[in-house]
Amino acid sequence: MTTRQFTIPFRRAMHVSAVLQIALLILIWQGGEAIVRLFNLPVPGAVVGMLFLLALLATGQLKVASLRSGAKWLLAEMLLFFIPAVLAILDHREFLGLLGLKVLAVILVGATTVMVVTALAVDVSYRLMIRFGERHARLH
Amino acid sequence: MPAFIETVLASIFWPAATIGLYLAARQLYRRWPKPWLSPLLVAPLLLIALALILKQSYAQYIHVTHWLVAMLGPATVAFAVPIYEQRATIRKYWPALAFGVVVGSATAMVTAWGLASLLSIDGALRLSLLPRSFSTPFAMTVSKDIGGVPDLTAIFVVVTGVIGAALGDVLMNVLPLQSAMARGALFGMGAHGAGVARASQIGREEGSIASLVMVLVGLVNVLFAPVLSILLR
Repeated sequence: MTTRQFTIPFRRAMHVSAVLQIALLILIWQGGEAIVRLFNLPVPGAVVGMLFLLALLATGQLKVASLRSGAKWLLAEMLLFFIPAVLAILDHREFLGLLGLKVLAVILVGATTVMVVTALAVDVSYRLMIRFGERHARLH
Repeated sequence: MPAFIETVLASIFWPAATIGLYLAARQLYRRWPKPWLSPLLVAPLLLIALALILKQSYAQYIHVTHWLVAMLGPATVAFAVPIYEQRATIRKYWPALAFGVVVGSATAMVTAWGLASLLSIDGALRLSLLPRSFSTPFAMTVSKDIGGVPDLTAIFVVVTGVIGAALGDVLMNVLPLQSAMARGALFGMGAHGAGVARASQIGREEGSIASLVMVLVGLVNVLFAPVLSILLR
């Protein structure tokens, strides 16, 4: 048997499994949506689904390997899924003038501040934790 | 041309145009990785131009492309995988993440309120701007709770994501950040889903931290919204 004969069915099986993995992720998402509707929760169904999947992984009911390629594909192409939502601007021509510029300024300056503050807060506390951890380790 | 053929053509044309322009924009970005050439800026701008030329409304466009947006659902579920894989880091450094989430959320609200007031934006529009840093479903819930307009908030959220993801690239290189955790938190807090998608392209740890931060920000603020609505009254 040549390598080619051997790898082609194998690759095909991998491909099918990535599709199956995405199907499973869709199923879990729909389960989350159903729970949110049933209990009228103020949380997105996808987040409930994500927490449920985390619980499955943490308790060993599901192995990461059986979802990895499907998850990887979805996450790699995630930017695509945001694009149609941006076109909602077409329905709000009132933002095409000065008001739009003002809102843009609020968002631009706000986002810059939020990102700088958050990143520095996390980085500084991370460094403090490492320094404290080292001192702690030396004392023992 | 019979109406049903037109409908079929439209339902193929817009998803194909969206996916095609996304792939083209992604190639462009790979060739020239500049923040202002981000696929999330270039692809929507081209689509908006196309919709204006073809005189199509948002309703006509989204009617045939909403299934693409729906894929954000399973994509969000998929984040359980990288979060689970980073569990050791998260367990060890959760105080740093929690601190970032609280400080970041407070900054997002204060800057939105302050800047809006400064530019004399007030009333429901100002309230609709407050939850712009949370991912869409959370943001719309909070917006309704505090007296904003959820539809407007949804647009502000998307614009924040688009701008934030591009801005994050610049800030990440300017700030003296030592940890992948801080880079992930920057994208997850400042640009929610779009930022998470960008962070995932930068690195595995960045992506999983960003997704975790995004989810935490949403949860914390949905719980905090009733308190906020009392404060704003």
